[in-house]
Amino acid sequence: MSEALFEARDLSVSFGGIKAVRDVSFAVHAGEVFSIIGPNGAGKTTIFNLVSRFYETESGSMTFDGVEITNVPPHRTAQLGIARTFQNTELFEHETVLTNLLIAHHVHRRTNLVTDLLFLPGARRQELDFRRRVEDVIDLLDLQGYREQPIGGLPYGARKMVEIARALCLEPKLLLLDEPSSGLNPEETEDLSFWIEDIVADLGITVAMVEHDMNLVATVSNRVLAMADGAVLATGDPTEIQNHPDVLRAYLGD
Amino acid sequence: MRFVLKTNYAQDVNLFLHNGQRFWYGLLAVAVLLAPLMLDTFYLGEFAFVYIWAIAGVGLMILVGYTGLVSLGHAAFLAIGAYAHAWFLTQGVPFVVSVPLATAFCAVIGYIVGLPALRMTGIYLAVATLAFERIAAWVIEHWESVTGGHFGMRVPDPTVFGMSLDGPVPFYYLCLGILALSLFAALNLLRSPTGRAFIAVRDSEVSAESMGINLARTKCTAFALSAAFTGLAGSLFAHRIGYLAPDAFTVQTSIQLLLMVVVGGLGSLQGVVYGAIFLGLLPQAIAIGRDVLPQWIGEIPGLEPGIFGAILVLFLVFEPLGIHGRWVKVRAWFDQFPLYRRATYKRQRSYLRTERVR
Repeated sequence: MSEALFEARDLSVSFGGIKAVRDVSFAVHAGEVFSIIGPNGAGKTTIFNLVSRFYETESGSMTFDGVEITNVPPHRTAQLGIARTFQNTELFEHETVLTNLLIAHHVHRRTNLVTDLLFLPGARRQELDFRRRVEDVIDLLDLQGYREQPIGGLPYGARKMVEIARALCLEPKLLLLDEPSSGLNPEETEDLSFWIEDIVADLGITVAMVEHDMNLVATVSNRVLAMADGAVLATGDPTEIQNHPDVLRAYLGD
Repeated sequence: MRFVLKTNYAQDVNLFLHNGQRFWYGLLAVAVLLAPLMLDTFYLGEFAFVYIWAIAGVGLMILVGYTGLVSLGHAAFLAIGAYAHAWFLTQGVPFVVSVPLATAFCAVIGYIVGLPALRMTGIYLAVATLAFERIAAWVIEHWESVTGGHFGMRVPDPTVFGMSLDGPVPFYYLCLGILALSLFAALNLLRSPTGRAFIAVRDSEVSAESMGINLARTKCTAFALSAAFTGLAGSLFAHRIGYLAPDAFTVQTSIQLLLMVVVGGLGSLQGVVYGAIFLGLLPQAIAIGRDVLPQWIGEIPGLEPGIFGAILVLFLVFEPLGIHGRWVKVRAWFDQFPLYRRATYKRQRSYLRTERVR
């Protein structure tokens, strides 16, 4: 296995008296699909929020691509190459799909306030460049039909895909997907598994996802991390995890 | 109904989508350029005033309509722009330098006012900016060596390269030109990363951050730009009223500015212009109404602010997207006639907000 793209060491965070995440360590290797599973309230999304720096870590540290990110501001993680989606979608509601995807190109911006105000030739070239790159992602995820539509009127499944598209527009190294299949029908979930494979194989993006659908997890993941009550139960390949006694106990009880 | 066939990406970047738009905006440009030939001096002055409101409105729209931050302190930026410009003129700074200087000065003040705004939104921000407005008013009243205090100060006539711009026709063109430039700059902003960052912050701060947008810097930039446009309007406003006194800039001015962008339609630059026309011409309409209506109605105390307030409430209840929002619906009705469905713009309630992480 190649070396770790992302590494977390002994992460902990608590809210009031509840230890939401306890001494969690894991590594995501470049070019793999890494899934985090666990019952509700296990702390899966909390880990994502720690990685994208929305929560302060209480102890432990994180490195991404050789850079220590334990204390960087949230927008810095995106600039370094971590993109994410949200569990219940968090799109720019009043804007069209196109604008949503263009906003994601913010990290690639080469212009400044003055060139933007005057729309100098450099700003124009940049816009055309962004527009073309957005189209590549629209093509990849088959979003042509939604291009000009405002987010407010889109069905839920489409929103999920737009959110993944928006994260891809960042052209990240690591893509965090928070329950990508929730709210999708079985057919859409199957499409999703193909897309995740494409994203890894064709775009060379490493994927880490939180997911409940064990079918999807087993299909696409290289490695799985199982959690319960904020702590790691086991890490291993999908079949190993599905038969792990601790994991079975966490899901099914004794 | 028009379908635009897009064949290259430049069509999504250009200001005008199709030739129909070019034609109508071109016609509008010819009309406003030829207006001095048709209008008498009084109405020319009123239209110049509308343009000044619109420039200030562009500033407030960037902040309220695009970045989602409310301000009740914009009368202060109008005042600071006006006083700074007038003071620079009395110090012998030429007009063409004084206007940019006053604008830049407002931008700096705006940036500083934006700093505490980083932690506030909604009603709290409105109150904080209101406090700023009161502080600015107090300073203007008491810094007599610069502002003349309660006695006020006379604004020197605008001259550019020895040519006086004081007459109604040159002043009309001056305001029109600066409005056109302001709208152009705002449009450029909105089709480039800076403006899209504002929109991102408005719609979802969490998402904006995960797109690599620096919240603090974006909000401060929005405040600075907003203050700059409003200050620019202020410098023209100074010439319009000719004599600056503290009572020209009150909380009511702030409320009128906010009224303008809300009634015009939040989140659209056309809305700014509609709102400015509404705000600039409503006092005239009320004045005419006073003459026509029975005397006891005309003499009701507080008639004008009352009508302003009532209109704001009616818009918030029945058409939150303002005049522009209504126009979009009317246009859709004509586009789709006779197949228009009332439900097209029915507001849907969305239950899809994620639990906020902060």
